[in-house]
Amino acid sequence: MPDNKKHGRRNILLRSWDKFWSPTGLFSTGFLLIAGFLGGILFWGGFHWSLEMTNTEEFCTSCHSMETNLGEYRQTVHYNNHSGVRAICSDCHVPHEWQYKMKAKIMAVKDVYHEVLGTINTSEKYEDRRLEMAAAVWKKMKATDSRECRNCHAFEYMDFTIQETRAAQNHQRAVDENMTCIDCHQGIAHDLAPGYLEEYQHVVETLAQSRMPETSGRVDVASIRSYLGISAD
Amino acid sequence: MLSLLDLLGTIGGSILGLPGILGVTLGMTTRNWIIAMILGGVIGVLSPIILGGHHSAHVPITTLEYSVSTVIGIIAGLVGCAIRRKGAMV
Repeated sequence: MPDNKKHGRRNILLRSWDKFWSPTGLFSTGFLLIAGFLGGILFWGGFHWSLEMTNTEEFCTSCHSMETNLGEYRQTVHYNNHSGVRAICSDCHVPHEWQYKMKAKIMAVKDVYHEVLGTINTSEKYEDRRLEMAAAVWKKMKATDSRECRNCHAFEYMDFTIQETRAAQNHQRAVDENMTCIDCHQGIAHDLAPGYLEEYQHVVETLAQSRMPETSGRVDVASIRSYLGISAD
Repeated sequence: MLSLLDLLGTIGGSILGLPGILGVTLGMTTRNWIIAMILGGVIGVLSPIILGGHHSAHVPITTLEYSVSTVIGIIAGLVGCAIRRKGAMV
């Protein structure tokens, strides 16, 4: 009997497989194309909508582990300011470009994993890991030239004349010395752990070392873009 | 330095991005495995150039990103070709 059941089930699967790949005699090509096109829009729209739902502040902070960083972020100018323009979690931690966004979403699986494990579920555990977690974000930001900061802040559009003197001087220095936002703004949205400067220096040195052997293998995208006539702005 | 998670993210981003989706689409336009591979590979190479980087930041695109994108493009082209051979009579 079990053999018959197994055999019968296999047949259903095989028949479904055959039917899936058989030419249809019921629908016209036009019907299939239109149905496929509409189905594609619905699928892609649903996929994108779901993805955007995971970008909301409510979603990001729905885990217990995120309570500490949410509290810290609420004390900063990115949460509350005179203009009412805000940056939420995803604005700083999720790239806008599709392939990098997908990469960030896939890598965010580790956050769920650690939430389940309870890696930072107490304030003591959180403080123990604070520097390590911060260093991981700094490393990503340094490696990408603070890409997520620059979605809103760009040196090209900064009017140094209406900035405070100290800010204007430091921003000019950053432009001159080819620095990036995270080089100075490590604690812009979350508290800093003791020894953060040494850790940041370590991040910068590690990145510089890992890039050295790759220099010859790096593709000169700027020249290729220029050749293809694609603006890099 | 590359972590396994970083590599998985790069692969996933390529599969759900232009190399994966357009690679399969272009692969479905031919029954020739070699042409499908070339079409997928070309999309894999072009994708980081066209879509990579950033409008304001200087984001370096590493050789590894190019390699992953190209390999995913080639595989996607072959998958598209397999779909064409299995599901079409022309």
